[in-house]
Amino acid sequence: MDYLLEGLVTAVKLLFSGDESTWSAVWATVKVSALSMSVSLALGVPAGFVLGYARFPGRKALRLVSDTFMALPTVLIGLLVYAFICRRGPLGGLGLLFTLRGIAVGQAMLALPIVASLTAEALEGQDPRVRDTLLTLGASRSRLASGTLFEARHAVMAAAVNAYGRVSTEVGISLMVGGNIKWQTRTITTAISLETGMGEFATGIALGLILLLMAFAVNISLSFFRRRAGLALTGGGAS
Amino acid sequence: MSGESPLYVLENIAAAHGGRTVLRIGALEIRRGEALGLVGPNGSGKTTLLRILAFLDVPASGRLFFDGREMHPGPGNGAGEMTAARRRATLLLQEPYLLRRSVFENVAYGLKARGKRKGLAEAVNAALDAVGLPPASFASRLWFELSGGEKSRVALAARLAVQPEALLLDEPSANLDAESALAVRDAAAAARSSLGATLVVAGHHHEWMKGLCDRFVDLSALSDGRESR
Repeated sequence: MDYLLEGLVTAVKLLFSGDESTWSAVWATVKVSALSMSVSLALGVPAGFVLGYARFPGRKALRLVSDTFMALPTVLIGLLVYAFICRRGPLGGLGLLFTLRGIAVGQAMLALPIVASLTAEALEGQDPRVRDTLLTLGASRSRLASGTLFEARHAVMAAAVNAYGRVSTEVGISLMVGGNIKWQTRTITTAISLETGMGEFATGIALGLILLLMAFAVNISLSFFRRRAGLALTGGGAS
Repeated sequence: MSGESPLYVLENIAAAHGGRTVLRIGALEIRRGEALGLVGPNGSGKTTLLRILAFLDVPASGRLFFDGREMHPGPGNGAGEMTAARRRATLLLQEPYLLRRSVFENVAYGLKARGKRKGLAEAVNAALDAVGLPPASFASRLWFELSGGEKSRVALAARLAVQPEALLLDEPSANLDAESALAVRDAAAAARSSLGATLVVAGHHHEWMKGLCDRFVDLSALSDGRESR
C-alpha cells in the first residue's frame, strides 16, 4: 500500500515541479475536453430541447436512439472514428488521425447523446406549471421556448457535468484515435494507462489524482457560476 | 373596445378530461369590470373554466367570445391572436409557480414579454407594494427564499404589474395565512377599482369571496342556467 502514499507525494511533486510531460498531458486533456464539450453542448442542448419540448412523429424513436447511445462503449466510438478518419477512410483527407481534434470528434460523439438525453429528460419532467406560468404572463411562442429552457438550466448544467465526467475519464477514444503520442496527443488517461503498463504505479496514481482535481475544479466553477447566475438575476430591483 | 358589451361570452361550452365531461355551460356572460365568484364542489369545473378564460385550454365544444371577438384557439391557428388575448387576461394558478429567478425578475417577466424596458423598477415596486411586500426587502430575494404566502403574493404582483383587463384567480386564499389572504383580496379589489379590471375568482371560502365578488355562479348548477345569487 506504500505506493498509494508514494503516488500522492509524486502527484504533488509533478504538479509543483512543473514536470513538462505531466503538464503536456494536462494541457492536452484540458484542450481536447474543452473542444469536445463545446461541440457537444452546442449541438446537444438544442437537440435535447427539441426532443424534450416538441412533439413530432418519430420523437420517441429518436429518444430511444439517444438513450441507447448514452451507453456507447468508448472503444466502439474510437473504432468508428478511426475507420472514418484513417487515411483510407471517407474523411481521411481531413488529417484528423492522431490529432487532438480527432480525439475531440470522438469525445463529442460520446458526450452528445448524454447532453441531449439528459436535457430532454429535464424538459419532459419539468413542472407543467412552468408552461402555464409563462403563458399567463404573456410569453410569445419564442419566449415560451427560451423561458422553458432557462427554467431547466440547472438540470442542463448537471447534464454537462455528467458528460464531462465521461469525456475526461475515457481512454478508448484517446488511445485509438490519438495514438498516445508524447507531447502531442497524450492525455492524462492514456498516460495513466501507459505508466501502469510500465509498472509506474506511483506516477499513474499521481496522474489520476490530477484528473480528480480537474473534475473538482470544474464542479467548483459550475457551482460558482450557478451562484453568480442567481445573483445576477436579482436585477437590483429594489432601486 | 365597446363600452357596455360583456368582456366574455360563453355559449354551450363543454370541456372533457380523459373522456369525462368536467364542464358544461349553456350560456354565461361576464361583464366588463365586474367581480364574479365561481363556486361549486370539487370537480365542478372551476379550474377548467378559468383555464379556458385564460386561453390556456381549449373547450371541447362551444363558442367563446372575448371582447366581442370569437376566439379560435388551436395549433397553428391564430397563435398571435391567442398571445394577444393572454396579455389582456391573466390567471393566478391555484398553486402559483415562481420562475427560478429573483422576485424582481418574476414580477418584471410579463412586462418584458410585452417589450417594456423603461420604468420597469417603478412598475415592479408598485406591484410589490400592492400585495403588501416592501420592494426594498423582497425584490432581490430568490424564489426559494420566500414562504408559501409570500410566493402567492409575488405571483399575484407579477399579474398586477401587467395591468390586465381580466384577472382570473383560482382559489387564491387556499393554503394562505390570514394576513396573506387579506393582502391578496385587497390587491385584487384595488386592481378592480384602479384599473377597472374584471375579476373572476374561484374558491370555497365564501366569507373571503363575499368581500370581493358582487355576483356568484354555481358551476354545478350552471348547465341549468341558475346563478347562486
